[in-house]
Amino acid sequence: MNNKGGVSMAGGGGGGSSGTATTSSWVSPTSVSTSGKRIQREMAELNMDPPPDCSAGPKGDNLYHWISTIIGPQGTPYQGGIFFLDLMFPSDYPFEPPKVVFKTRIYHCNVDSTGNLSLDILKDSWSPALTITKVLLAIRSIFTHPDLYNPLIPSIAYLYSADRAKHDELAAEWTLRFAK
Amino acid sequence: MVSDSINASIPSVPKDFGKKKRANRSAKLKQCKLDARREQWLSQGAVKSKGCREELMGPRGLPQQIHEEGRKDPLENLQMRRLGRRVGEDENENGSIHHDFDSDSPSNSPTGSSVLGGNDSGTNFTASISGSSTSGSSVGCCSGCITEEDEEGDDNCLDDWEAMADALAANDDDNKLENHNDDNNPCLELQSSLEHESIVQLDGNLGSYHENLTEDRSVPPRVTPGNSRAWRPDDALRPQSLPNLSKQHSFPNTDRHYGQGVLAWGCVSGVNVPSACPICTEDLDFTDASFRPCSCGFQVCLFCHKKMLELDGRCPNCRELYKNDPVEVEASVLGGSLTLKLARSCSMRS
Repeated sequence: MNNKGGVSMAGGGGGGSSGTATTSSWVSPTSVSTSGKRIQREMAELNMDPPPDCSAGPKGDNLYHWISTIIGPQGTPYQGGIFFLDLMFPSDYPFEPPKVVFKTRIYHCNVDSTGNLSLDILKDSWSPALTITKVLLAIRSIFTHPDLYNPLIPSIAYLYSADRAKHDELAAEWTLRFAK
Repeated sequence: MVSDSINASIPSVPKDFGKKKRANRSAKLKQCKLDARREQWLSQGAVKSKGCREELMGPRGLPQQIHEEGRKDPLENLQMRRLGRRVGEDENENGSIHHDFDSDSPSNSPTGSSVLGGNDSGTNFTASISGSSTSGSSVGCCSGCITEEDEEGDDNCLDDWEAMADALAANDDDNKLENHNDDNNPCLELQSSLEHESIVQLDGNLGSYHENLTEDRSVPPRVTPGNSRAWRPDDALRPQSLPNLSKQHSFPNTDRHYGQGVLAWGCVSGVNVPSACPICTEDLDFTDASFRPCSCGFQVCLFCHKKMLELDGRCPNCRELYKNDPVEVEASVLGGSLTLKLARSCSMRS
């Protein structure tokens, strides 16, 4: 079930088609409705109390495919940039982490060239008690504090620790080029 | 006692006989008393039939006996019995069986009211008490029932509960008054019986009012001092009669079985603070609400708990491994815990 869901997720993420989660037909309907209800509640919570510099919502009419924006926090080389992210909810969402992909290029040691993100809570440390709000806050926090110990691009992590000014200059340049 | 009061009142007539001035007043008074006694007799007739029924239903000498006592000294005995019942049920945890009665009672109460209603304006209200208690006694099967049915037997007896008990109490008052004041001031009797009539009405109103506000359990008991009423508006017996109570709450009468009822209710509502499962956002039922799978207190519904056991078996909140024996709230909380346990067993049963 999870494999099937994951495959359809990946396909849906690439094509941006709707109904990726709901069309994986042999996922139990209770699971789908459960995740749907949970996602709807998260959407309501997010609208009620959005985290700073963040916004998120369904991309179209598919509840399982969201788009999110994070504004680069002040005091970082990413400030002023608007970074788009795709959020893909698996059909058994609260029990499996959402898949988050940067759609905007960013010079960051934890984001690779295709936008994949290395964030522990989106992988092994995922907990069903976490919500999209917390995920967005965690992503926002790596703008200010990159996780140098789990880099997707080690050269950037090395540059960050070796020559912070050079790193920030490059990051600001990428932000200006891609995110504004 | 009824015959006593009659005997006591009849001799008073000849005493007054020669005194023309008081004749009118005593005639009115007599009318009042006769009315009261007629109600009393009616209700006692029902008492006897119900009592016989009780006897037929099961081997219980106790209800009848208590009932006899109740006739002798209605107010005190009612109070004492109520207290005793609460204590007894605290000890015996017999209240769980009673939940069934309450869930049954709404459906049965209409028949009860149709059979028994119509003594006076207050009767229709209390008739539902007897209806519910009748259903309870018909269900009755085990020891838990007996304590309850003792009470309910009394309810049966007092199908016109408030009217009869008030009448008895008023008659006690009347007797005293007759003994002391009969020749001197018969108006007192009239006043007392009139007052008692109005109190009956007042009781009905207050009772229903309280019934509508069942969630305001924290409202302190409203005791009117010096009032010879059969029960107080916040009396635990009173809410039992109304069907909407057990429909509104799945375990509506948790507080009824316990002396610290208000406290217990508060505990229950405190436990239920997360009303929905934080994982799947489904509403927690009472089983889920008392289900604490992790020592950190994080509550999830049973379905999500099972799912997480299948995945990694860790608490979503503290990431600790779930232990095999879930910590249930029954073990940790006092007062309300027992209530929860009873409610759960009840829900399983029904």
